[in-house]
Amino acid sequence: MSATCEFQAKDYKSDLKPIWCPGCGDFSVVQGIYRALAAIGRPPHEIAFVSGIGCSSRIPGYTTAYGFNTIHGRALPIAQGIKLANPDLLVLAAGGDGDGFSIGGGHIAHLVRRNIDITYIVMDNQIYGLTKGQLSPTSQKGRVTCTSRFGSLEQPVNPLLYMLAYGAGFVAQASPTDLVGMAAIIEEAIRFPGFSFVNIQSPCVTYGEEAQQIKGLKAISESLVALGHNPADRLAAMDLAQHYGEKMHLGVFYRNPEPAPTYDGLVRERQALLSKDALPKERILDLFIKK
Amino acid sequence: MPSKGIDFANLSLMDALDLAILVEDEALVRYEDFAAQMDQHRTPDAAKFFRYMAENEAKHGEQLAVRRAELFGSAPPTVSRALIFDIEAPDFDAARAFMSPRQAMQAALASEVKAHAFFVAALPVLKNAEVKALFEELRDEEILHQDLVKVELAKLPPDSGLSDDDFVDEPAAQ
Ligand SMILES: Cc1ncc(C[n+]2csc(CCOP(=O)(O)OP(=O)(O)O)c2C)c(N)n1
Ligand code: SF4
Ligand SMILES: [Mg+2]
Repeated sequence: MSATCEFQAKDYKSDLKPIWCPGCGDFSVVQGIYRALAAIGRPPHEIAFVSGIGCSSRIPGYTTAYGFNTIHGRALPIAQGIKLANPDLLVLAAGGDGDGFSIGGGHIAHLVRRNIDITYIVMDNQIYGLTKGQLSPTSQKGRVTCTSRFGSLEQPVNPLLYMLAYGAGFVAQASPTDLVGMAAIIEEAIRFPGFSFVNIQSPCVTYGEEAQQIKGLKAISESLVALGHNPADRLAAMDLAQHYGEKMHLGVFYRNPEPAPTYDGLVRERQALLSKDALPKERILDLFIKK
Repeated sequence: MPSKGIDFANLSLMDALDLAILVEDEALVRYEDFAAQMDQHRTPDAAKFFRYMAENEAKHGEQLAVRRAELFGSAPPTVSRALIFDIEAPDFDAARAFMSPRQAMQAALASEVKAHAFFVAALPVLKNAEVKALFEELRDEEILHQDLVKVELAKLPPDSGLSDDDFVDEPAAQ
């Protein structure tokens, strides 16, 4: 690790110009990420930033970290592979609500239970932005979109409750209504030793609902610190998380006070233990040949 | 108040000047970002206006920096960017694809009003007389900035009457 020189937010900004719609909430998220990474101070070449597909998934390209804009819904398994192949990297995964909770929803439970040390940032805009405004898994019931002409009949998923129920060690929520707070939360999530999740209410100004724009979000936001919430209390966190969609609680819902061992750490230990008896690479197939 | 933990009651003049510089800088960066967003979406008139606002913010920031240097030399600042948020900078979502110059100016006007409200709200809490005087000056400057934007607004021909929705594709199932 070579975190000896100081980095500034601008050091993580790439030359690529974002093609998001002007005003898109994702502009604030990338700013929050620049600031958080500067506070952490790891050089860009020690960071891998993985995403799926969607407007939000373009985000790695706007940073100077190694970026991988993968396939829809597959940011997490690919991030996991990168972390296991090179555990020294700081690995971030990001994407949209559709990417994460619809097509990619099945991966979450497994990354959480393995406790892979990555930070997963979801830009939750309650819509499929890239494909022009279809119903997403976090869209509210009754929402009219081009795929729900007469209003959605479905209950939305609750990403915060999902993560808490799966057993994630760090669960938080942020929004562009508070960039300073967002950057601090992302920083804290990255510093957490284990799987960490930050849900960011990031308005889609083009296809999103009026109530989910910054003005609307400001009206329903409440700071968890101001509420006196104890982030070590998982049940209290679950209680608060139930208000997803009605209120916007900002801050850390849950931070495991006794973080569990990470899978990548355990793999390293196992490798150290077994490496003395390991076969050389050219004989690796012998393991599969019956003698 | 859109700030994080500023101890207004005990604010020193140096810290107040440093915060004022950060406020201008935050607005400068946001306007530059907005101008780049407008360039990216082929909206040169709005981009030009946002650049004009960025230049103004840079000018104010430099004037404050000169004063700070005269009074306190290169004494290291004790306040950081993390103490302020969106004081004079327009909200992230104030930009829109294909903004008319009028819409761009209205977004800037709204942020000058917001900045004015910030200084007005802070004034009763201040204790240091020099800081109070500085904040009064900055509050009054925000009115001048609003007037500047209003002058630009008055020069505009009437808008085309097109709305944002005229530029957004009807969503189609994919
Ligand atoms: C396997 C596959 N299925 C569907 C798509 C089409 N598709 C691209 S992005 C997207 C959803 C985007 O929504 P979200 O993940 O919420 O991101 P946003 O654009 O809102 O940031 C879909 C359905 C695809 N690219 N690949
Ligand atoms: S469509 Fe929505 S999510 Fe996509 S860039 Fe535009 S505002 Fe952002
Ligand atoms: Mg989405």
